[in-house]
Amino acid sequence: MNKVNTAEGANAQSAGQPSAETMSSARLDQLRDEVAKLKVTGGAANPERLAGKWGIGLTIFGFVVAFISWWSAFNAGNYADIYRSQIFGTIGIGISIVGIVIWVRNSLTRYMRFWIIRLVYEQREQTDRLIEALERKLP
Amino acid sequence: MIDHTNFTVDDVLAATPVLELSSVRAGYGRIDVLHGVNLKLAAGEVYALLGPNGAGKSTTLAVASGQIVPSSGSLLLCGRDVTGVTSDALARAGVCLIPEGRGIFPNLTVTENLRMATFTGTRFNDVQDRVFSQFPRLRERRRQTSGTLSGGEQQMLAMGRALATNPAVLLIDELSMGLAPLIVEELYDHVRRIASSGLSIVIVEQFAHEILGVADLAGIMLHGRIVETGTPAQIADDLTGAYLGARHH
Repeated sequence: MNKVNTAEGANAQSAGQPSAETMSSARLDQLRDEVAKLKVTGGAANPERLAGKWGIGLTIFGFVVAFISWWSAFNAGNYADIYRSQIFGTIGIGISIVGIVIWVRNSLTRYMRFWIIRLVYEQREQTDRLIEALERKLP
Repeated sequence: MIDHTNFTVDDVLAATPVLELSSVRAGYGRIDVLHGVNLKLAAGEVYALLGPNGAGKSTTLAVASGQIVPSSGSLLLCGRDVTGVTSDALARAGVCLIPEGRGIFPNLTVTENLRMATFTGTRFNDVQDRVFSQFPRLRERRRQTSGTLSGGEQQMLAMGRALATNPAVLLIDELSMGLAPLIVEELYDHVRRIASSGLSIVIVEQFAHEILGVADLAGIMLHGRIVETGTPAQIADDLTGAYLGARHH
């Protein structure tokens, strides 16, 4: 299916210039190397949705840990148990905060993306209208 | 049993498609526009994706360039699953899209638009040399605001900027949109020259006449599926029927 004419390619090579085939395979090798460097495990459909789910999940998990810690502190018999529960509660709140930050960051990214796309479209329409107006004014 | 004497690892690598969409379903929000698209682009091949308005051709290119993540199915580059990789990462790797409507910055000059192509690390002087040698008309208009160029010149600027990034896979969406037939012919001469350099190209078109003279392989897309694939000669016979809905209900 390759449109390259190998006879032409051979002539180009003998003239000291890279043939289309050589250029193409060099560029392909470069593409393979670049793709190999990409951090991908394969089959990550919609990573943004996944990040959103992780954010919500961590928030809920953190609140559950904090609640359980509060409950065990409430029912604890000695100070050592209370302190232990307080530490777990703090960790739980920390996990919730991380989850909230991930979810907010994810949501903001999507919002800003739509906003910037809209800006670009509006700018283009504005330019088109300006050009139309100028063309009408000019003789 | 495989006979290893008849081919090498290079042959196997060469047989792997450069770009592949495998059973891709994708769309916008909850609405799927693509319903299981399978497309393979071999190295150095020109693949023409044809179909009427609303068939899903632009969405297919958006998936191939990483702008839309498929809801199911895979996008493979040189045999490696890159589904979910961001579009800027794919662009840096060498997948370049010339979008419908050209995608140039209309309020910037030709030179300033070309400066955008230096993100790959290519020196700006090299970018200009590469583009102006292919499209001499742009050299004459390098200080002109690109929004005031003619449609054909804007398309040349879009193609030049794409080529300046030294892509491995070029995706072109509706090259002929809004252009006079003479300009379209001139642009497809450029595409022929680009294709002869060994670049792998997927080109989407509504109007098949010009592109079938350039393509190695063509596919007809209807209602989010590629319903037929074949050589341009084979496809040309079935095109009218496919567009008018005579087949493939």
